[in-house]
Amino acid sequence: MRLSLSAAALCAAGAAPFAQGSPFQTPGMPSQAPPPQADAESGQSDRFSSSFNPAISFIADIVFDYLDPADSAADDGFDAELRGLELSANAWVDPKAWAYFVGAADEEELSIEEAAVHFTGLGGNHVVRAGRFFIDFGKQMQIHPHELRTLERPLVLRAYLGEEVKGDGAQWDCWTSVGEETVVRWSVGVFADLLPEEAAFPAVDQTGEEITPEVAERKDAGDLNYTARLTGFRDVGEHGVLQLGGSLRSIPDFTFVDDTNGLAADGLDSEVWGLDLTYGWTSDTGLERWTLGGELLAETGDSGVTVDDPDTTPGSGDETLSVLDDALFGWFAYGDYAWSRFDSAGLQLSMAELADGADTDASEVEAYYTHLFSEFHRLRLAVTSTDLDTGDEDLRVALQYTATVGAHGHGISF
Amino acid sequence: MKNSLLALLLVLSGPTLPARADTPRTEALRVVTTLPDLADLVREIGGARVDVQSLYKGKENTHALTAKPSHLVAMSKADLFVQVGLSLEASFVPGLMESARNARIQPGAPGFVNVSEGWEALEVPESLSRKAGDVHPQGNPHMNLDPRGGAFMAERILAGLVRVDPAGKEEYERRHAELAKKLAEARARWDALGQAWKGKKVVVYHQEYDYLAAYHGLEILGKVEPKPGIPPTPNHVAELIAAMKSGHADAILSAPWSNNETVERIAEASGVKVAELPNMCGGIPGTDTWIAMMDLLHQRVGEVLGGAPAR
Repeated sequence: MRLSLSAAALCAAGAAPFAQGSPFQTPGMPSQAPPPQADAESGQSDRFSSSFNPAISFIADIVFDYLDPADSAADDGFDAELRGLELSANAWVDPKAWAYFVGAADEEELSIEEAAVHFTGLGGNHVVRAGRFFIDFGKQMQIHPHELRTLERPLVLRAYLGEEVKGDGAQWDCWTSVGEETVVRWSVGVFADLLPEEAAFPAVDQTGEEITPEVAERKDAGDLNYTARLTGFRDVGEHGVLQLGGSLRSIPDFTFVDDTNGLAADGLDSEVWGLDLTYGWTSDTGLERWTLGGELLAETGDSGVTVDDPDTTPGSGDETLSVLDDALFGWFAYGDYAWSRFDSAGLQLSMAELADGADTDASEVEAYYTHLFSEFHRLRLAVTSTDLDTGDEDLRVALQYTATVGAHGHGISF
Repeated sequence: MKNSLLALLLVLSGPTLPARADTPRTEALRVVTTLPDLADLVREIGGARVDVQSLYKGKENTHALTAKPSHLVAMSKADLFVQVGLSLEASFVPGLMESARNARIQPGAPGFVNVSEGWEALEVPESLSRKAGDVHPQGNPHMNLDPRGGAFMAERILAGLVRVDPAGKEEYERRHAELAKKLAEARARWDALGQAWKGKKVVVYHQEYDYLAAYHGLEILGKVEPKPGIPPTPNHVAELIAAMKSGHADAILSAPWSNNETVERIAEASGVKVAELPNMCGGIPGTDTWIAMMDLLHQRVGEVLGGAPAR
């Protein structure tokens, strides 16, 4: 009743029309709130002021592809997918700290990719980052899929770390110079959970259901998950930069859970080690570039699990889990060539030993061409062949269109 | 072992203590500039009191510099940082500034010099939209190629040097006065040469030479880039060639980075000569100083538009 009276009073007072509103109010239509009082009139900036808005951007990542899968039972043919819609906002929150948020929506859910604060108040070149953010591992895991040079992350990273790994926790990083042309940087992070949300080659039971790795929600300090990275990069002549880095992702305690058979294997650990090398060359004009890079990875600890089922009847009670603790090795290497600010092409190879109990190797070749229409939208053609040494081979031809609306600035990437 | 490693990391990561402003300097002032043009002006004014490093070498597209480790180290140790501003260096300066963590050269600090401060920029957009291409919110940033630019930039550099090294004020002012005299003489040369160019019609690749054109009364008939930072399309090139023929264009002005096959094709189809001009110091032999660079620029424009060589 009070609201109705208020609305009537506003109409009677002849409230000024809103910039985007209806020129007059018709019965049954929602009434609009009065505009906030202008700063000039109130003499104060109120909580509706837009003066301190963060830098906001939206990024749409759309993939139109053709897939010819190895599995004849799987669907083949064409598809179009809004792979991701990302919203990000960045702003300083005080003189020593800036915060950012990245939300991502795909066709099924809206998720918080990152939400963290960078604190720079320790002096020197120290940064403490806290919140949720992508892990500092190698040179490809820190960035979002739409920022990659390729359509997908290299196969070995997807296999050993996951499609993307974001953790809730904190990280300290710092850099120092060695001479005038070399920078050395390191980081150490501690997180609640660094298991991948989506494994590229998940362990499965005898029915094909995924055996999921899980980390306890509450844990001892020694069972927290960790990352560490040490990298050095230096000028090589007038045109080149060489970077060498080593990374570690450690999960000291996790459990494989097999829901089909009601089994669990706990007290497991997983470590992934990486050694990366990258060389970049830029021409005099800055428009022509070569980039050659790669990373060797090793996964140690308990890398996989299989189900032993003597009577081949799921859930009959005779099943046991066999945890695989062999060290697995893999790598990726790539070469990119950009002949202008707007055009580049490259080839990426990747191989990984899989923890499937059958010593399967997987390999992937991706050829890609990227054209930037401007700094804010681009088109990529990618042809990817993913091959298991069992003879199975997926072929994918994809067109990826990525557009950025609004600000999307990045700092120096280590 | 763990303790040793931690100790090593702490030693390596210890913050560098800045020198106190009132302490007499025992070593040269470390100055980092974006363009070599600015480095030259700093050397001219600073003399032996400064040690200057330019991030650009001279041939680059000024909007596309790849940051290197040496840039980060230089920025972290600099006493003075000099940039053009007007978002010319927006692709790398903010990132370097953030990572370098050098409080002495952050915007607002005494060691930060923005030489375009107070400059009346051309082409300030009335509204900001990417529809207009890679626009610079504060206007055309290529003020280093305006014949008046040297004197303007030098004044701001002088102020910056005096701020961070007051003990050298007298020397800086004396050297600045000498430079100002040379700049005035050079400008008189360029003015005399430019008299013959008024009303001539030119095509530029990028908006780099808009200040030069405006200063000398040249008409810009068209641009190879349809919008700033946007590569030419076949349609746009065809329209440009037609416009050059019907409008009787006199010259195409390109920079070392943009003197490419497209420019060659347009020149061939339109029958118009190309002048490859420096867009900053160091990109073309004989352009180590700002005055020499502008001399060569005027000489080359003179070669296609007429007028006596500048030197």
